[in-house]
Amino acid sequence: MEAIAVTADELYRFYRAGDEETRALRGVTLEVAAGEIVAVTGPSGSGKSTLLTLLAGLDEPDGGTVWITGRRMSHRPPAEQAALRAGKVGMLVQNGNLIEHLTVAQNVDLAQRLAGQVSRKRRNGLLFELGLSGRAGAWPSSLSGGEAARAGLAVALANRPALLLADEPTGELDAHSETPVLALIRDQAQTGTAVVIASHSPAVRRFADRVVELADGRVR
Amino acid sequence: MVFLMWLRGLLLRRTGRIAAASAGLALAVALPAALGMFQSAAQQSMTARAIQRVPVDWQVEQQPGAQLKGPLPGVSRQVDFASVAGLQSQANGQTLTTGGARALGIPADYAATFPGQLRLLAGTPTGPLLAQQTAANLHAVPGTVVTVHRPPLPDAQVTITGVVELPTADSLFQKVGAPAGAQPSAPPDNVLLLPAADWHRLFDALPADQVRTQFHLRIDHRLPADPAAAYTRVAGAARNLEVGLAGAGLVGDNLGAALDAARQDARYAELLFLFLGTPGIVLAVLVTALVARSGQVRRAAEQALLRARGATRTTFVRLALAETLLIAVIGAPVGLALAAVTGLTVYSSARLTGPALAATALTLLVSCAVVLLPALRPVAAARRRETPAWSRYGLDLWLIAGSLLVFWITSKTGYQLVLVPEGVPQLSVDYWAFAAPALLWAGASLLILRLARLLLGPGRPLVARLVRPLAAGLSPAVAATLARQRGALGRTATMAALAVAFAVSTSVFDATYQQQAQVDAQLTNGGDVTIGQTTATEKQLAAVPGIAAAEPLRHGFAYVGADLQDLYGVRPSTIVGATRLQDGYFSGGTAQEIIGRLASSPDALLVSQETVTDFQLRLGDQVRLRTTDGKTVAFHYAGVVTEFPTAPRDSFLVANASYLAAQAAPGDTTYLISTDGTAPHVVADRLLARFGPSAKVSDVESVRRVIGSSLTSVDLDGLTAIELAYALGLAVAATGLLLVLGFTERRRTYALTQVLGASARQLASFIWAEVALVGVLAIAAGAGAGWALARMLVLVLSGVFDPPPSSAAVPWAYLGQVIALGAAALLGAGLLAIRAARRPPLTVLRDL
Amino acid sequence: MSPLVSCQDVARTYGRGASAVVAVHGVTCALRQGDRVALMGPSGSGKTTLLHLLAGLDRPTAGTIAWPGLDERPRGQVGVIFQGPSLLPPLDVAENVALPLLIAGCAEGEARRRALAALAAVGVEGLAAQLPEELSGGQAQRVAVARVLAGSPRLIIADEPTGQLDSARAHQVVDLLTEVAGRLDAALLVATHDPVVAGRLPTHWEMRDGALREDVPWSS
Ligand SMILES: Nc1ncnc2c1ncn2[C@@H]1O[C@H](COP(=O)(O)OP(=O)(O)OP(=O)(O)O)[C@@H](O)[C@H]1O
Ligand SMILES: Nc1ncnc2c1ncn2[C@@H]1O[C@H](COP(=O)(O)OP(=O)(O)OP(=O)(O)O)[C@@H](O)[C@H]1O
Ligand SMILES: [Mg+2]
Ligand SMILES: [Mg+2]
Repeated sequence: MEAIAVTADELYRFYRAGDEETRALRGVTLEVAAGEIVAVTGPSGSGKSTLLTLLAGLDEPDGGTVWITGRRMSHRPPAEQAALRAGKVGMLVQNGNLIEHLTVAQNVDLAQRLAGQVSRKRRNGLLFELGLSGRAGAWPSSLSGGEAARAGLAVALANRPALLLADEPTGELDAHSETPVLALIRDQAQTGTAVVIASHSPAVRRFADRVVELADGRVR
Repeated sequence: MVFLMWLRGLLLRRTGRIAAASAGLALAVALPAALGMFQSAAQQSMTARAIQRVPVDWQVEQQPGAQLKGPLPGVSRQVDFASVAGLQSQANGQTLTTGGARALGIPADYAATFPGQLRLLAGTPTGPLLAQQTAANLHAVPGTVVTVHRPPLPDAQVTITGVVELPTADSLFQKVGAPAGAQPSAPPDNVLLLPAADWHRLFDALPADQVRTQFHLRIDHRLPADPAAAYTRVAGAARNLEVGLAGAGLVGDNLGAALDAARQDARYAELLFLFLGTPGIVLAVLVTALVARSGQVRRAAEQALLRARGATRTTFVRLALAETLLIAVIGAPVGLALAAVTGLTVYSSARLTGPALAATALTLLVSCAVVLLPALRPVAAARRRETPAWSRYGLDLWLIAGSLLVFWITSKTGYQLVLVPEGVPQLSVDYWAFAAPALLWAGASLLILRLARLLLGPGRPLVARLVRPLAAGLSPAVAATLARQRGALGRTATMAALAVAFAVSTSVFDATYQQQAQVDAQLTNGGDVTIGQTTATEKQLAAVPGIAAAEPLRHGFAYVGADLQDLYGVRPSTIVGATRLQDGYFSGGTAQEIIGRLASSPDALLVSQETVTDFQLRLGDQVRLRTTDGKTVAFHYAGVVTEFPTAPRDSFLVANASYLAAQAAPGDTTYLISTDGTAPHVVADRLLARFGPSAKVSDVESVRRVIGSSLTSVDLDGLTAIELAYALGLAVAATGLLLVLGFTERRRTYALTQVLGASARQLASFIWAEVALVGVLAIAAGAGAGWALARMLVLVLSGVFDPPPSSAAVPWAYLGQVIALGAAALLGAGLLAIRAARRPPLTVLRDL
Repeated sequence: MSPLVSCQDVARTYGRGASAVVAVHGVTCALRQGDRVALMGPSGSGKTTLLHLLAGLDRPTAGTIAWPGLDERPRGQVGVIFQGPSLLPPLDVAENVALPLLIAGCAEGEARRRALAALAAVGVEGLAAQLPEELSGGQAQRVAVARVLAGSPRLIIADEPTGQLDSARAHQVVDLLTEVAGRLDAALLVATHDPVVAGRLPTHWEMRDGALREDVPWSS
């Protein structure tokens, strides 16, 4: 049996704003093996981003537990969560993946340094494969939508994560640019990285090994 | 390194934010440093002034039968004293005789060694000299032959070569070794000064109990700058000398006494530094905190990203520290430079010592902490936030109530802010007095914040109505924007209000202080210019250019029981207006009323409260006074007077001049002169030129400079200048800088509004609504809080004022400047924001 | 019939000297009432830049743009849907949608009514009281669409309006935009990388390396 990279056990997450309550997740269970690519789909507002945030340990579930490579991620001291995240998780959020006062290359450097694995070669390789070699020294505010999304992916992959969480990585990409991005993700998976992609794109759906469909905060 | 990369990025891309935070920090550091320079300069000048005021530092008196041996410290000269029965002269065939007199033998270089001890009024100082009063009594001039009655020896004769004034007669003729707190003995009325050889020739044969020998010393003046430390050093040295003399001599420590008075002033200066400086420093730190807090939205986003990349708290702390360090490294030197420039321009010294240095360092640390804090844990801006705990529990109201309570308790028990037991090196300061203003500051700040939040929260419909003239149809959107920003906006408005409050309270306090200093000088001098010992008449005086009026004031002495008191004769019809008598000088009625009693009954007499108590007087009681020439004059007790122009601080009497003249009571007339606006010293010079050197002329300006030992002369000008300048700076920073930063944060909102089709006018309405809100709150709440604080400060620090003020003075001109500058800052911020908002919106939208 | 917007030999260069990026060059085009155009092209080809120029949000570095069919001030009459987040953070969803109406001088009550109707049309009426930061990516995108629908623009410019929507929603949004454009007799220009979305519009333009090719024959 392949190693399990991430386990989500009965996750709940409710947002409260005033007297209103949004039940974003209502008991989601998910297991992804190392090297497996899972697409999480579902209508807008169904809880995909919320799920990814919980898997990354950036937010605490109101119920349930998250395990990353056999170690508990949820409900533990922030410092331990951070260490786990730095070493094992690469995260691509839906909007705004780059620190504005650092260039594209510096953003990748920063992620590598935080993970303690600086490699200029890997950085340049990533930027090249994502078609960003020419924009390495650019400030994030001067990137086009698709360029920013790709730069975000480069940052997410900078630390050779065991688990890649990608929220809409191809939402801004045309079919032409989508191909190298998916190819890169496939390469990464082949080195044993488990991948969870939240996406609407039919192409991603076809590309994934498995599709998990969310609706109203539950797996359908 | 991560940090270098991070910092370089901040410097390149967040230049404005870093610059603003550094500016805030610079301001926060500059204020205590500048105040510290004031502090040490003020102390130094107080010590220097005390030293300068004392011509003879120590008077070491040889004890009867003993012989002073061994070297004395510093520069010393022997002075011999003899008591004689009287002096006599012949003038115009008339024989004039004085009562008991004192004859001093001084070495030839005495006047040169102790400058200020003798002032030559006429003749040459080489031979026998007469004191001014004695010369007047004997109608003596240089060349007059004076007979000295010196029983049991036969009379002797000396030829006077000059007339001198003895400005320090009190200490010169002190009873050395008198126990502390003993009544100071009055200096002798008649004094003859002889060259040492003459004195020995005349008095060596006198019985021992009629002569004494003193050594007058000037000691090493390299003393600590702080008067308290200088006092301790000098007093200790004096005791040390006494011990060394082993009973052969006692030390009269004039310098110690002067420093003793100065250290009290110094303590007050320190208190002013605390009372007036602390709020300013706290405000500057708060401004820094708010500046550092701006940009929170972006900061929160950055941290979320860093977290997603696995950054730990330690990473945040390190990055935040690096950023803080950067700001401190830029801001602190700028602040210190600012302070040094202030110090050099205001007191031409930029020395920073001891506690002030510590205060500056502390402020720097605290400023760094407040810069660090928001960098550590940013809060996302537009969160729906709960009411803060302090507001739920009404902390603001509790603080204000507490302040009033403490104030009531302290003022009720009639506390003394600074207690300086005479002769004891320890001073005690009632630090409780700080509690009331401190609590009031804190309470007022929170209350203003509460008001702002109330206005922006539940008061949103009202705000929408208020901004309608500016925003027209957009007013609901403008009100909603303001309401969602109520945290930041409330803080900015509160900060601006506090800056205004600071300016108001400081300037009102200062103006009141200046007003009282003027009153004190007037009280001491009597009028703008005072002329005495003159034969000039009121008419002659009135003819001198620059003089508006000359008010005669008769002065003599009379015994009340055994007590010799000053007796003033006034002209009740004119005295109140001419000398600006204040109601506070009398008790039991206004100045007009009490003086009116003199007008209505010729034999009315005003006495001091002490006399009323001593003699159990009731209004209408008859009082009999014995004049110095032995006559008895009857008066009726008509009221209580506590202070009077030219009168001493203790007991004195006031009556009708015409009645005194009619009863032929001895006395001479001094004229209290009001100028027509001409500078008093100019008028004084004219009077001297016209009425000769024998006339005694003084003007209020020099008096104000001279009454150094009184608290009013604590040199506040420097402190005030700094305080007022920084208050202006704070007001501008709080209104302008904070608003601009707030606008920067809302650039995105404005850019989007513009994209959605808003006209320039509509866009401006968002900005002007914010500006107006901050401006109105700042002025209304700030003026209110400032006034309350000023009142409290004036009352708490009433010990600084002499006499206590009957009303606070409001410096409208300065406040006008504050308002104008604040308004200009607001306007500038608004215009800047509008210009920025009009830029092509794209640059802004891309950049977030 | 004069065009709503026309541009002549337009270019837009970012930066200067060696690091200058020529995002758009030599573009000549026009949009008339009734035009329904899909703008496609690889990531970084200059779509967003051109859209901003046409909307009057940015000025060309060369060439001229004019809006002969609009009043002198184009901004209020052009409805723009941005690629990234574009809601005003301090206003709630309903206020965000009502804002352009208030700007145009609409009464408060009327503006709110129309805002709620537009929100209902894109299926997010339940979020009226939420703040932008509390929305999911797709929800925010639909609110931005609703903001354009609520007004009465003569020219609708949408930059990747469906990037974060599932295909059903994406179709719905494009159909809505087309319908509104028809009702208002407006022109519609949609930049998209999604061939399915593009397929629902009759005209296709393509950007390549900053140059525009009009009337590209459609081959799905
Ligand atoms: N402010 C800027 N400074 C420098 N270069 C910029 C700036 N804005 C955009 N660019 C560059 O201009 C080119 C075109 O950008 P644009 O955003 O128009 O592309 P796009 O076609 O919209 O791409 P996408 O589909 O990825 O959104 C890109 O290479 C981008 O990096
Ligand atoms: N901070 C928040 N406060 C309140 N509600 C929130 C918050 N964040 C998300 N929600 C709500 O939780 C639900 C799930 O949001 P989530 O972002 O997980 O959706 P999603 O599946 O990623 O949608 P999309 O495809 O549109 O990105 C939505 O209804 C959203 O409005
Ligand atoms: Mg999402
Ligand atoms: Mg684009």
